[in-house]
Amino acid sequence: MTDDPHPTRRAHKRRTVLKGSAVAAGAAAVPPLAATASAEAAIASTVDITLSVNGRDHDISLEPRVTLLDALRDRLGLTGAKKGCDRGECGACTVLVDGERIKSCTTLAVMRQGSRITTVEGLADGDRLHPVQQAFIRHDAFQCGGCTSGQIMSAVACIQEGHAGSEAEIRDWMSGNLCRCACYQNIVAAVGDAAREMRR
Amino acid sequence: MSELVGRAVDRVDGRAKVTGGARYAADNPVPGALQGFLVGSTIARGEITGIDTSAARAHPGVVAVYTHRDMPRLTAPPFPYLKGFIPLQDTRIHHSGQPVALVLAETVEQAHEAAALVEVSYRAEQPKAVIEDALDEVYLPAPFRDRPNEIVRGAGEAALAGAEVRFEADYSSPTHHHNPIEPHATTAVWEGDRLTLHETAQGVNLTRGTVAAALGLPPQNVRVISPYLGGGFGAKGPLWPHTILTAAAARLVGRPVKLVLSRAQMFTSNGHRAQFRQNLRLGATRRGVLTAIVDTSTAQLSRTDEAIFNRSDSAHLLYACPNVHIRHRGVRLDVATSSYMRSPETTAHFGLETALDELSYELGLDPLELRLRNYTEVNPETGQRYTGKHLDACYRMAAEAFGWARRNPRPGSTKDGEEYVGWGMATETHSHGAMPATAAVSVDAEGRVLLRIATQDIGTGTYTVISQVAADALGMPLDRITARIGDTALPEAGLSAASATVASVTGPVHRAATAVRDAVVAKAVADRRSPLFGLSPERVVTEHGHLFAADDRRRRDSYRDVVARGGQPVEATGSVPNTPGHSFGAVFLEVRVHARYGSVRVTRVVTAHDLGRVLNRRTARGQVIGGVNWGIGYALMEHTVLDRRTARVVNPSLSSYLVPVCADAPSVETLFVDRPDPGSTALGAKGFGETPITGVPAAIGNAVFHATGRRVRDLPITQDKLL
Ligand code: FES
Ligand code: FES
Repeated sequence: MTDDPHPTRRAHKRRTVLKGSAVAAGAAAVPPLAATASAEAAIASTVDITLSVNGRDHDISLEPRVTLLDALRDRLGLTGAKKGCDRGECGACTVLVDGERIKSCTTLAVMRQGSRITTVEGLADGDRLHPVQQAFIRHDAFQCGGCTSGQIMSAVACIQEGHAGSEAEIRDWMSGNLCRCACYQNIVAAVGDAAREMRR
Repeated sequence: MSELVGRAVDRVDGRAKVTGGARYAADNPVPGALQGFLVGSTIARGEITGIDTSAARAHPGVVAVYTHRDMPRLTAPPFPYLKGFIPLQDTRIHHSGQPVALVLAETVEQAHEAAALVEVSYRAEQPKAVIEDALDEVYLPAPFRDRPNEIVRGAGEAALAGAEVRFEADYSSPTHHHNPIEPHATTAVWEGDRLTLHETAQGVNLTRGTVAAALGLPPQNVRVISPYLGGGFGAKGPLWPHTILTAAAARLVGRPVKLVLSRAQMFTSNGHRAQFRQNLRLGATRRGVLTAIVDTSTAQLSRTDEAIFNRSDSAHLLYACPNVHIRHRGVRLDVATSSYMRSPETTAHFGLETALDELSYELGLDPLELRLRNYTEVNPETGQRYTGKHLDACYRMAAEAFGWARRNPRPGSTKDGEEYVGWGMATETHSHGAMPATAAVSVDAEGRVLLRIATQDIGTGTYTVISQVAADALGMPLDRITARIGDTALPEAGLSAASATVASVTGPVHRAATAVRDAVVAKAVADRRSPLFGLSPERVVTEHGHLFAADDRRRRDSYRDVVARGGQPVEATGSVPNTPGHSFGAVFLEVRVHARYGSVRVTRVVTAHDLGRVLNRRTARGQVIGGVNWGIGYALMEHTVLDRRTARVVNPSLSSYLVPVCADAPSVETLFVDRPDPGSTALGAKGFGETPITGVPAAIGNAVFHATGRRVRDLPITQDKLL
C-alpha cells in the first residue's frame, strides 16, 4: 500500500471538496454533510491504507470518504488537530502534508498515502518544544486553545514559506486561521519572534 | 510580600495547549461509543406529520434512529435550561433546526449520511422571523430570574418634557451567534443508573443539576467532566437539548454515545444574541448634565420562552441621572431561543454611548467632557458609594496615551490619501457575578500541591490565576502546584460566565491554601525534629517551598519535610462568599474609512480598565484584546441573516457569518488602573471578562461619524451603509 495511487495528489483536491460544501451552504440551515451522499458511498466498503504521520507509519482500514482530519482524530487518536467547521473555513484542523499547510478536513485520508504528514503532536523534539510552540507560550498567543494547534501548524508553514517578513505580511498570511478568542496581536508577535529565531 | 499574584506569568496550561496534549470534550476516546447526529427541522413552525426512518436504519453501521415516537419522556428543567421545551417529545415545531430525529451509528460518516436519509413530512405554517414582522405584538415580559423588565427612577417622561435640551434616536443590532471554535460536544457513558458526561460545559455543576432534572436522576448520579473548553462565550453556559437527548439515547441503546454539533447546527442549537431595537430619549441641561434617560427596547423572543438577556444596565447605573425609565420589551417569533452571549449589556450600551456622542455634538461639548459632567462614584440603584470605581482614572490614562486632546472635533476634518480618519471614544462597563465556591488544597510528602475546585477555564486563565493565588498563599513555587478543575467530583463551584470566575474562586482558593500553610507551620513549630521547634507561628515565613524563622533565615524547614514527618498529606478546604459588582474602562480608537469603497478599518486602539487588583496582567490583557476584537466584529461584520419567508438562518457557516480574522485585528494598547477593590474578597479583584467589549461598537460608530459625518445607528456598519 505504499505505492502512491494518486500521482497528481499535490494538485490539491481542495477545490472539488469545496464545491461540494458550497452546494450544502446554499441550503440554509440544513446541516451540511461532511460526506456528500452518493449511491456508492452508501455502501460501507473500506480500504486499507498506510498513513505516515509524525515519522511513523500507521496501517488503517477506513471508508474512502473519511477525511484526513477524521482519520487522524478518530482512527489514530491524534486529537491535536481540531474540527471547528469541517468545511475549510476555520483552520483549526491545519496540518502539514509534505511540508505544506493544508486544512485536513478538506482532503481525504486515502489521497494522502505516501505523504509525510505532521500534526501538532509531532512538532516538538522530545521534551524540547518547537520555536513556534515556545513563542506561542511566551507571547500568550492563545486563550481557550481551540484554534491553537491549527495556528501553530499554519505558523510553521507561514515562516517556511517566507511569509513572516513583517507584521502586515503575517497578518495576511495567518488570516486563514480563525481565533474566536481573538488573540491575533499576540499570534502576530509570536510568529514574528519565532521567524527571527528560526532564521538564526 | 506577594511574588506571583499580579505578575504576568505564563499560562500553566500552555504546554498542554501548544502540544495538542490538552484533551477537550470531543477528544476523549470512549471505547465502544456510537456516534450521534441530529436531524433538524426544515420548517420553522408547524407539525410533523410523518417520519420515515427506514432508509436511515438500513444504512450500514446505523444502530438506531430515534424520533418523538420512541424517545423516553423527559422533563424540561428550570434555569439554566432556557429552552422551555425538549425536542423529540411531540410533533410540534417551534423553530427551524429544531431536532426531529437522532441517528446513532458506528462512525461519524455513517451517522451523517443516515441523517440525510431520514424523511420527515410537515404541515407548515407561516412563521415570523424578525421583530419587524410582529411590531404589533410587542409586550413587556414578566421578570426573568426576579429581575423586572421595567425600571423606574424619578420621573423620566416629566423630566424629559421639561429638559433644556432633548435628544432622541433609534438604534438596532441583528442576531449574533457565539461561534466558539470548538463546537458543542458531549459523550454520555452509563454504568447502571450512573451517568458520566464528557461535556463542553462552562459550568459542570449546573450542567449536572440540569441533566439530572431532565432525566429524573438524583444529581449525585451524574458526573460532568470538562477540563478544557475551546471557547464558550456564553454558548456553553446554559444546557441545551442535544446533551439531554444524547444522554437519554445512550441509555436507550445501551452503549456510550458521542455527539458533536456541526457548525451549521450551532446556529439553531445553543442560543444567540437576540435581534434588538432601542428607542433612546435623553434630556439634559445646556451644560450637558443629564436630567432624563428614557430607554425603550425590543428584543426578539421565541415561542417557548420570554427571557430577555440584553438589559439596559448602563442606562440605569453608569451615569448620575435622577430620572430614568427603562422598558425591556419583547416579541415572540418563530426562532430558536436566545441566551447570554459575551457581554450581553453591550447591546443596549451601544445605543447609550452613541446617543451621548450625538448629544455632545448638539451641545458643542467634547464627548469625554460630557461623560465627566455626569460622572458618579455612587451606585444610583443602592445610593451607596462603590467600594472601588476608578473610571475617572481610566478616562485620564487612555485619553492621554491616545492623544485625545489633539482631536479636531469637526467631522470629516482629516483625510489621509484615500481614507477619512476618525477618532471615537466610549465608556466601558459590565456587571460581574459572584457565586459560592469551595476549594480544597493539599500538600503531600513530596512537597507537591494539589488544588481542587470544580470551576472551569474557558480560556480566561483560571488554571493559571488560581495556581498563582495558591502558590503565594503557601509560599510555594508555581511549578509545585497542580490545579484540577472542570469535574463535578471536585469541591463545588459555580458557572464560568457572567465574568464571575475570578471573583468567585479566588477567595476560596486563597483561604484553603492559607489554612494549609498555617497547619504546616503549626506542625513544624510543635515538632522537636524541626529546626523551627518552639517558635511562635507568627515568626515563621514561607517562601519557595520552605519555612524560615523570620529573624534567622538559617533556621529553616520545608513543606516536604514537615509533611513527610507527619506521615500524611495536609489538606484544607476554604469557602469565602463575594458580592457581585461592576468593572469599568474607557476605549479610544481610530478608524479609517475608504472614501470610495466605504470600508472601515480600525487602526489604533487604546484602552484603560479598572478591574480592581489585576491578578495576572497577561491573562487580563488577553481579555482586553479579545474583547476589542469582539467589539470590532460587533460593529463591522457580525450578522446572522434570517430569511423572512422561512425563518431559516441563511448564513450558518464561518464563511458567511463573518468574524474578525488576523488581518482585521489592530494592536491594542492595554492599560490598567490596578487598584484593589476593598469590597472584593477576591484579593481585591473584580470580575472583568465581559467589560472590554462593551464600549467598542459605539466607539467605532462614533469614530466613523467623526471620520465621515455619517451616523450609522443600525449595526453592523457595512460598506453599503456608508456609500
Ligand atoms: S475544521 Fe477544517 S477548516 Fe475548520
Ligand atoms: S485561543 Fe480560543 S479560538 Fe483561538
